[in-house]
Amino acid sequence: MSARIAVPVFPGTNSEGETVRLLRDCGGDAELVHWSRADTLHNYDAFVLPGGFAYEDRVRAGAIAAHDRAMDAVIEAAVRGKLVLGICNGAQILLEAGLVPGTGSLRRPTAAFTRNGPVPHFVCRHVYMKLRIAPARCAVTASLPEGAVVPAWAAHAEGRLAATPEHLREILGGDHLAFVYAHADGRVDEAAVPNGSAFGCAGLVNRMGNVLAIMPHPERDGRNFTHLDRCEGENVLAPSGGAVLFRSFVEALS
Amino acid sequence: MVNLRDDELSRIAQRLNREPTLVELHAFDAAWSEHCSYKSSRRFLRGLPTTGSRVVLGPGEDAGILHLGTHEGERYGIVVAHESHNHPSQVVPFEGAATGIGGIVRDVLCMGAEVIAVADALRFGTDRDNIARGVVDGVGSYGNAIGVPNLAGDVYFETGFDENVLVNVVALGVVKESEIIHSYVPKDGAGWQIVLVGKATDPSGFGGASFSSLTLDARDAELNKGAVQVPDPFFKNVLMRASYRVFATLRELRIPAAFKDLGAGGIVGCSSEITAHGGYGATIDLDAVNVAVDGMPPEVIAVGETQERLIWALPPEIVPEILRIYNDEFTLPEVAYNACATVIGKVTEAPRYMLRYRGNVVMDVESNFLAGSVYDELPYTETIRHQSADDLAAVDVAELLPRVLAHRDVCSREPLYRRYDAVVRGATVLARGAADAGVLAPVPGSLLGVALAVAGNPRYGKIDAKYAAQQAVVEAMRRVVAVGARPIGLTDCLNFGNPRKPEQFGEFVAAIDGLALASTALDLPFVSGNVSLYNETSVGEAVPGSAIVACVGAIEDIGRVVTPGLKTPASALLWIGSRELTAGGSVLGELLGIDGSLPAIDYDGERAAAGIVAEAIARRVVRACRVVSDGGMLTAIARLAFDAMLAGRCVGAELDFGNPFCETGGFVCEIEETSWIDLTGVLRVGSTIAQSDLVVNGSRFGVAELYRVWSQPLQELYP
Repeated sequence: MSARIAVPVFPGTNSEGETVRLLRDCGGDAELVHWSRADTLHNYDAFVLPGGFAYEDRVRAGAIAAHDRAMDAVIEAAVRGKLVLGICNGAQILLEAGLVPGTGSLRRPTAAFTRNGPVPHFVCRHVYMKLRIAPARCAVTASLPEGAVVPAWAAHAEGRLAATPEHLREILGGDHLAFVYAHADGRVDEAAVPNGSAFGCAGLVNRMGNVLAIMPHPERDGRNFTHLDRCEGENVLAPSGGAVLFRSFVEALS
Repeated sequence: MVNLRDDELSRIAQRLNREPTLVELHAFDAAWSEHCSYKSSRRFLRGLPTTGSRVVLGPGEDAGILHLGTHEGERYGIVVAHESHNHPSQVVPFEGAATGIGGIVRDVLCMGAEVIAVADALRFGTDRDNIARGVVDGVGSYGNAIGVPNLAGDVYFETGFDENVLVNVVALGVVKESEIIHSYVPKDGAGWQIVLVGKATDPSGFGGASFSSLTLDARDAELNKGAVQVPDPFFKNVLMRASYRVFATLRELRIPAAFKDLGAGGIVGCSSEITAHGGYGATIDLDAVNVAVDGMPPEVIAVGETQERLIWALPPEIVPEILRIYNDEFTLPEVAYNACATVIGKVTEAPRYMLRYRGNVVMDVESNFLAGSVYDELPYTETIRHQSADDLAAVDVAELLPRVLAHRDVCSREPLYRRYDAVVRGATVLARGAADAGVLAPVPGSLLGVALAVAGNPRYGKIDAKYAAQQAVVEAMRRVVAVGARPIGLTDCLNFGNPRKPEQFGEFVAAIDGLALASTALDLPFVSGNVSLYNETSVGEAVPGSAIVACVGAIEDIGRVVTPGLKTPASALLWIGSRELTAGGSVLGELLGIDGSLPAIDYDGERAAAGIVAEAIARRVVRACRVVSDGGMLTAIARLAFDAMLAGRCVGAELDFGNPFCETGGFVCEIEETSWIDLTGVLRVGSTIAQSDLVVNGSRFGVAELYRVWSQPLQELYP
């Protein structure tokens, strides 16, 4: 029996449809789990937390959802080593839940994806994220090549990694900086960063390597028709581009 | 404040054979407002073509529907609605614009559709930065939160909009044509229950419809803030998803239903129309309405325009399940204070509309009299605008090109639209700004695509409303053609001045005439639309006449859309379409201070040009394409060069052309050198080159430098 992936939906989630569809098209046995069915989350083997504005981003993006009972199951699974990927709002929730970078205790975050800088506005921009860790350091990225460059869309108002200097040092020292913003050719510079994020951070991984939090949305540049200029093969509906990360996620489960 | 006129009041008293109650007064005030009743505009709107082979549902319900195509034996329709939210946006820009998006989304949702895109056409003044920022943030915050991408739009800045901005919004949905839900109770609907779903009714938005039908007086702005509704996109996100679940249940059980947005006129407006349009009456119990505060007067509960509410009319046997979905499965009461789905009344065979409150009947009128026809036969005069025809001297391209690119109507809109989510739903093929129209794939697993563009140039509107309306249709159509879509239908929003001033009303009448002319000539029907009158300044001047048009295009294979930017050196650059050298209404004319004549509109030529471009795209010889619009042909080519540069391709263009800034229309295409010889009616204006330069009449510009000039100006307004 293949591993079952849950895509939990909180009040305010908005990217669940494309996330679950692309996971399925990448071979995953994925399904939406609505908040009214949160008690069934214990039955799943892996989790992908989709984007949106769970609980209206009240307090801080992800802060309320991190304390939702749906997260009890996700946290328990993560602690036991199951795979968890959070995208955008999902990533914010994972940080607020203390799972990523995971240098503090649960639900006591040591870092946050917070208000963009220098201009504190929502930004929607096509970006590339470059893998900065050894692929095997994180189960989700294990089948990506070294230094992989993944196309995606940044679409958030709170995506800037912020933490105390001490916690930022822990992120680097503990090799938690999984993805940084880059150009298409892999060059890394400030111009590639859409939100003023510390280290140009686009994604963080926990110590065990089973929980990955990324701000940009690979699923929004995840099919040939979303990037016709970079079409791979004849089928314009086929997963490609950012879908590479979803494939890697699914492969890690098999 | 009730804005009914004396003759309307006496007509009501006469028909009721008594003095109306306070609730009735407010109900008629809303229902008979210009905003709801179209009382002065309706007789002219009848002149618009609304039928055609692609029309699944024309004007009359909350949104129109166009046939998109067939996938796996299912016919799919595109639901489209178009509205203004002008006055609220002037008073409270953020909330006004956000509730504009919120309202148009409900209009599409209630047809049984999944909402797939929004668009915004904005007309700002030149000195109200707080309004220009607030509106954009309002549009963005709402669409972003509900998870609907912003696919298309435009923005113009004119002093004529300083005191009265225009905020027009469009929404698209997708629905199987066999699963459309209508906005009226169908036959055998007597005895159905009326279910109100959404946020608890509160005192916000009381008098909104009436407010939108008045001239906005700056002195009253503070007073009128109470008439603006409060947006709640977070709640709407949940409400939409819960409604999708309800759609699925109704389809599975094959149960008929009617669904309608609560917009102008609140509970009375919506429940009276959903029943009256089916030939029924209704009895509503105001005590059953879930309210946010105690002690609200019945007229506020009855006609207040609290946002994020809809009304269902449902057969009684399904009602418990629908209430369960909204209240238990999607936990509406936990998502917003006292929000829920609840039964508030029933559909009656007798066509009377009755409201009860605390045991008393507070309203009892004939349904048709309330929701039916009020007419104002207002006089209008035709204005012939002065038309001079200054000769166009040869222009200094080198001096003008940077000025044209930096012009407020030409420069990059990216600082604005990058605040909008362009790609949520993961179905966007061409995001806003990438091309002249936005394109997305509305049906998962299908190659079908839908294109959307808006147009309505106020520089033309200042000169001649009828001409501007025609150009709006033509340009919206061209934009859709330029990405490789087949234009299939239109919507319009007519933003004009005071209908009680004959010369201002004359502009409105002329604009409809223009829309009808263009629509007929191009065989593109209008399937929905909206009228916004009383757009005038404190000294009584009308805004530049603005017939804003949206065009929907159908695409059979999204793999064949024309992608952004020049592709390869040594291709031919062709101008296809009308090429009159006139400066009237153009950016060039403004920069040079020329009051030139307007380019003639030649519909045969337009159809031919669109046909040539469509055929060339179908033959896959078009490498890039843009319409000639604000800033002229050279601006179009510059933008193709910008997109090539941004994609990392080293391609520029070289051309010789006397005056490349005329905005006479048509298309510029990059076409393979050997593939264009057999195209008729095209003019070769130049070639692409292997440097990232634009070489015009011997002057050389670096594309990167021109891009800097073009991309900077709006960054100050939208940092």
